[in-house]
Amino acid sequence: MSVESTPNQNQQSALMAVLASFWFEFRQNKGALYGLVFIGILAFVAIFADLITPYDPVEQYRDVLKMPPVWAEGGSWTHIFGTDALGRDQLSRMIYGSRYSFYIGSIVIFFCLTIGIVLGLIAAFNRGFIENLIMRLMDIILAFPSLLMALALVAILGPSLENAMIAIAVVFIPHFVRLTRAQALSELGKDYVSSSKSMGASTWRLMFINVLPNCMAPLIVQATMSFSSAILDAAALGFLGMGAQPPSPEWGTMLADSRQYILSDPWMMGIPGLAILFTVLSINLIGDGLRDALDPKMKTAKS
Amino acid sequence: MFSFLFRRVLVLIPTYIGITLAAFAFIHVIPGDPILIMAGERGLPPEKYAELMHAFGYDQPLWKQYLDYIGQLLQGDFGNSFVTGRPVLEEFFELFPATLELSFFALFFALLIGIPAGIYAAVRRGTIFDHSLMTISLTGFSMPLFWWALLLIVFFSGYLGWTPVSGRISALYFFDTPTGFMLIDSLLSDEEGAFKSAVMHLILPAVALGTIPMATFARQSRSAMLETLSEDFIKTARAKGLSPFKVTMAHAFRNALIPIVTVIGLSVGVLLGGAILTETIFSWPGIGKWMVDSIFRRDYPVVQGGLILIATIVIIVNLTVDMLYGIIDPRIRKKGH
Repeated sequence: MSVESTPNQNQQSALMAVLASFWFEFRQNKGALYGLVFIGILAFVAIFADLITPYDPVEQYRDVLKMPPVWAEGGSWTHIFGTDALGRDQLSRMIYGSRYSFYIGSIVIFFCLTIGIVLGLIAAFNRGFIENLIMRLMDIILAFPSLLMALALVAILGPSLENAMIAIAVVFIPHFVRLTRAQALSELGKDYVSSSKSMGASTWRLMFINVLPNCMAPLIVQATMSFSSAILDAAALGFLGMGAQPPSPEWGTMLADSRQYILSDPWMMGIPGLAILFTVLSINLIGDGLRDALDPKMKTAKS
Repeated sequence: MFSFLFRRVLVLIPTYIGITLAAFAFIHVIPGDPILIMAGERGLPPEKYAELMHAFGYDQPLWKQYLDYIGQLLQGDFGNSFVTGRPVLEEFFELFPATLELSFFALFFALLIGIPAGIYAAVRRGTIFDHSLMTISLTGFSMPLFWWALLLIVFFSGYLGWTPVSGRISALYFFDTPTGFMLIDSLLSDEEGAFKSAVMHLILPAVALGTIPMATFARQSRSAMLETLSEDFIKTARAKGLSPFKVTMAHAFRNALIPIVTVIGLSVGVLLGGAILTETIFSWPGIGKWMVDSIFRRDYPVVQGGLILIATIVIIVNLTVDMLYGIIDPRIRKKGH
């Protein structure tokens, strides 16, 4: 038993130091902190939705149709955010809707990161035909406006929330492939890669153990920004009737439901819209903070 | 310049073949038989079905169908709409001016406000103006476009009653539309008040569609200006005793143009995508609404042809942006990248 730390402990404390310095940088950005707090609260609400919702989100209370929220005239504390045209409790629907946002964002980002990183690394490690094939394929996807491409894909797959997420992931993947490839190419020319190669490291090892960790910073920022874009696009698809299907309390679908009442009961579309705006804004603020903290070079240019 | 352009176009050929392949694949992977969709609810007798299959070439092997399809495209034949029976290309050119008019004014609005605001924020860095502009633009950047459009309708059409809710012009006016651009056509017509009606119909959708690009332009021109303002040649220009205005505009802004032109080019895709939502909400008869309606009506030749035509526009715009780089910065042209 020696007092000196083992290599493993050394690694751990090095990781702690990196995290600490990251947190120090991130904390400097006030907006990012506000964003983090909002998303934290939203995550809490989403996780404990079953416990905190006052009503079932799809239960229709037929005697209180289109009740205004509590602060408006005619509102009541029984339904704080009021009820929709079918008498469903808006607050409960909003709370359950937050689950959809996290679900959509996480699944889309998971697919974008895994597929994007693998394709990007393959392109960077196989210059020539394979690289060209992958990159031209990505060009084709990028030639279509993303929402149109997503709409066409949903038309093929059939309208549902899961298919909308697949379509959104497909549309976002090219950005991840391009970013991974560009990062990997700039890393490949560095000495540590050649030395690892000369020591007989396999391509897999070079790809995922040597190169990939050094490409992660911009990918994390891109993933954060895409998380918010995924929520926006899924809401837009839901709004067009091509995303989550009624009666699911997804925020975009709720907006679509409230559309015919915008002039008579504008509060009905105000609440889900505000929720989408604040969620997306918070994630974008966190993304800005991450970029500043992870990439000091960009900070001088950005702020 | 010519060889620069030539190289750029050459690279596009495989991409373009891919685009036609994707659009071709669309009609074959979509669930449902296109002939049966065309026939509608009543269905078809088998011999008529076989006849139509043959007439449309669906009984041929796939590669033959694709080659025929390319042959038709090269002759400008994009097929006919299942619903109206009219050629897709004809419908496209009829509706495209509406989208162009809307996108042009949205872009105009975005540039007019976004870029000066971004430049001013960079020059007055750290002031209240700078901070509020960045907050506003980040909010605009995070705004769900369809919700923003609805908010504008609630406030300006519902509450204030200033603007109409939908369409391009009031139904009271009837006149020829030789150009397809409502502002021009209404001016050419002798109808009293037609031009004003067209303007009032255009304002709200153009503002809704232009808001997100505006936020992007403000952010991008601010950060591009900040970068160039810290360069040595700006110090030199200042030391020479040039006026602050001249330093900002002639020296800094010109060098900040490359990233700004890039975002403007990229925003065309954003505008066309946004036009889908904006046109649907404002019942604006352009190609965005046309595509959404066709997807819902399962009018697949329109979707297929529309995909290719819209991708063509995006590609042409990207090419133009590439050429603009060459004009703004001769170094790029010489390197050939």
